Amino acid sequence: MKAAGRLPCPALLLATAALMPAALWMAFVYAPEEKVMGPVQRIFYFHVPSAAVTFASVLVLAVASVAHLTTRRRIWDHVALAATEIGLVFCTIVLVTGPIWAKSAWGAWWTWEARLTTTLVLWLLLAAILMVRGYAESREQAARLAAVLGIVAALDVPIVYKAVDWWRGQHPVVFGRGREAALAPGMLVAFLFCLVVFFLLYASLLCLRVRLLDLRERARDLSDLLGER
Amino acid sequence: MRAPGAPAGPGFLRGALAVAAKDLRLEWRTLEALSAMALFSLIVLVVFNFAFDLSTVRRLGAARLVPGVLWITFSFSGIVGFARSFQIERRRDSLTALLLAPVDRGALFAGKALANLAALLALEALVLPLSAVFFDYDLLAVLGPMLLVVGLHTIGLAELGTLFAAVAARVGRGEALLATLLFPAASPVLIAAVRCTSAVLDGSDLASASRWMLVTAGFDGLFFFVALLTFEHVLED
Repeated sequence: MKAAGRLPCPALLLATAALMPAALWMAFVYAPEEKVMGPVQRIFYFHVPSAAVTFASVLVLAVASVAHLTTRRRIWDHVALAATEIGLVFCTIVLVTGPIWAKSAWGAWWTWEARLTTTLVLWLLLAAILMVRGYAESREQAARLAAVLGIVAALDVPIVYKAVDWWRGQHPVVFGRGREAALAPGMLVAFLFCLVVFFLLYASLLCLRVRLLDLRERARDLSDLLGER
Repeated sequence: MRAPGAPAGPGFLRGALAVAAKDLRLEWRTLEALSAMALFSLIVLVVFNFAFDLSTVRRLGAARLVPGVLWITFSFSGIVGFARSFQIERRRDSLTALLLAPVDRGALFAGKALANLAALLALEALVLPLSAVFFDYDLLAVLGPMLLVVGLHTIGLAELGTLFAAVAARVGRGEALLATLLFPAASPVLIAAVRCTSAVLDGSDLASASRWMLVTAGFDGLFFFVALLTFEHVLED
């Protein structure tokens, strides 16, 4: 339980707060304007890092879930819950920013392409895990069931991706592929910078959430103790 | 989770078969789940006939429409059956008795999943001919490959369905939560099932869909082991 107290939350927050304005400047001013798509392409600097963070969060969820089931330490459940919630937030950002860009670049809000479909399926799985947590009768039960579902979800995501990729692959999609490969140097720098800042943001949020869950747990333990006396 | 020094129970296979036999015997005596599933799938088929009338089916060809209809019917009725398989345990708290049995928790999962698989296969044996009548395609001409495809993909549905039904029952919820969990997670199986069924109805060689059969076989195997390993954490009180 004491592990959460030693988390470097303030440092992470400070770094994120300092670098986020710079990331905005990089995305909106520093990066050169894309010739064909125009300003709407700039959404890419926030959209792709959010997607990277989402899938990294699934990895965190999987590791924390396995760790919770094997060690039964509460800290791992806190990490799993935080990863589910924050993953869901970033997944929502991906699903909102994606169509805004797609409407202008592809002419359609949505297409059932592998990445889009996988992200949507992941969103549903993460939301379902939070639903089960909400329905659970006790904290221990919520933690166990969510860990089982977290493992299933994390294993499922690559299979869903591959399945949809093959499924749609037989009807080739002409747009979207290989876009990153043709990035101008200025764009690449801005993108990598935003990627780092988004991971910092993710780490700070995760850190704060785990810390908060830990404090809440301790407050509950204390009030239980007082209630007994 | 067996206590050290406790007498060894029956082996994994015998334990699983005993649980499956118990569930199937119970089902055979009441036909409660199967009759509900059968009526429900009949309604789903009829609703589909309202949604796309026969002329649409004839114009598009059976291979375009029927696979989707079949798998939506199978998975929806499957959800009705899976949810029941744990609700009956809850009703008289017989799950506690089941947990006292000296068998591996994985064997409990395997037994439950096997009974669910058998029930869903029985339902499919009923729905397939019905769908051939309603949607006017020649089932007998493609019977062999059809049975193979349906069987393989039903395994995946029954496995994940059983695991999630246990989760839903643990938190006191039924079909709605089960559907929310099962449909996204089983989407690779559903995609593969529709592709394979479509290939079968097209009259093309099953080898053309072999990639999808492999996906499902891998999915079935992977989640069987995941469920075996995690089921004890779902059942634990």
